[in-house]
Amino acid sequence: MIYLEYLLLLFLIIAAVMAVYFEDEVISIIFLSVVSVILTTLYLLYQAADVALAEAVIGAGLNTAIYMSAISQIREKSK
Amino acid sequence: MKKFLVGLLFIGLAFLLLINFAELPEEKLITFSLSDYYIGFGLEQTGALNLVTAILYDYRGFDSLGESTVIFAAVSGIVLILSRKMLPVSSHGLSFIVKRTLGILTPFIALFSLYVITHGHLTPGGGFQGGVILAAISIIFSIVYGSAFDYKRYSPELKTTFETGGALVFIIIGGLGILFDGFFLDNLDFLTHSPGTLISAGSIPLINIGIGFKVGAGLAIVFYSMIQKTFGEEF
Repeated sequence: MIYLEYLLLLFLIIAAVMAVYFEDEVISIIFLSVVSVILTTLYLLYQAADVALAEAVIGAGLNTAIYMSAISQIREKSK
Repeated sequence: MKKFLVGLLFIGLAFLLLINFAELPEEKLITFSLSDYYIGFGLEQTGALNLVTAILYDYRGFDSLGESTVIFAAVSGIVLILSRKMLPVSSHGLSFIVKRTLGILTPFIALFSLYVITHGHLTPGGGFQGGVILAAISIIFSIVYGSAFDYKRYSPELKTTFETGGALVFIIIGGLGILFDGFFLDNLDFLTHSPGTLISAGSIPLINIGIGFKVGAGLAIVFYSMIQKTFGEEF
């Protein structure tokens, strides 16, 4: 089980670096949602089910939708 | 020169913090910490099996009131800045397959959100998490069916009513605490059944329901006022 934790932490760092690395905003938002999913699994491993539920709903669901609508508005105005 | 000054400032700040933490008392002097108190007496005093909810809505209920006030202020600010025209402009939504699939899935999402809200004192979850799942239903409607559908089914007036209603439920339950027990947001003990049943833990489930509808309606209003000019001209 300890190896699963280290593997998830490694993937968390990789996904966070990828979210900063790409210049396209949509890819960054997708990688931020991947970060949230990995964080949810980590919280479940640490037996914090309340925080895991909040992170899954807010981080992976709500943040992605709000960021996408904001990005599409900015692109429409800059054209 | 400027970088040097900023670095000097940070080094001085770190030094001061180090001195400050070095003067903390030793850890072994503290024999009975606050978390031991919550774990030991939480179930007995509040009747809630989920200790996180017991702390959030009973011991620290006033903090939760402040958090919901922050959400209310954020929603008010976003609506004040972003909503210029009240008429919804919308796309036609996604394809037929996605619409039918979500038509089947949506009742289960609503049921799960209501379960998370009402069982907040028994299982992990609570008003805030369940409320965000409720808001996700409205967001799915806006994306998949187009925001005109969302406007017809759940108009902004209905969402505003739900949000203010949830906040009023919270404050009224706090006031009832003054009336029956003498303290604001005190646990209403006469509502308690045996721990582990649905109607237990005094006023915690009622506060959960109020916060759930308030958070769900508030976040739906935020997303709606952000999206209403987004999918513009093709309608």
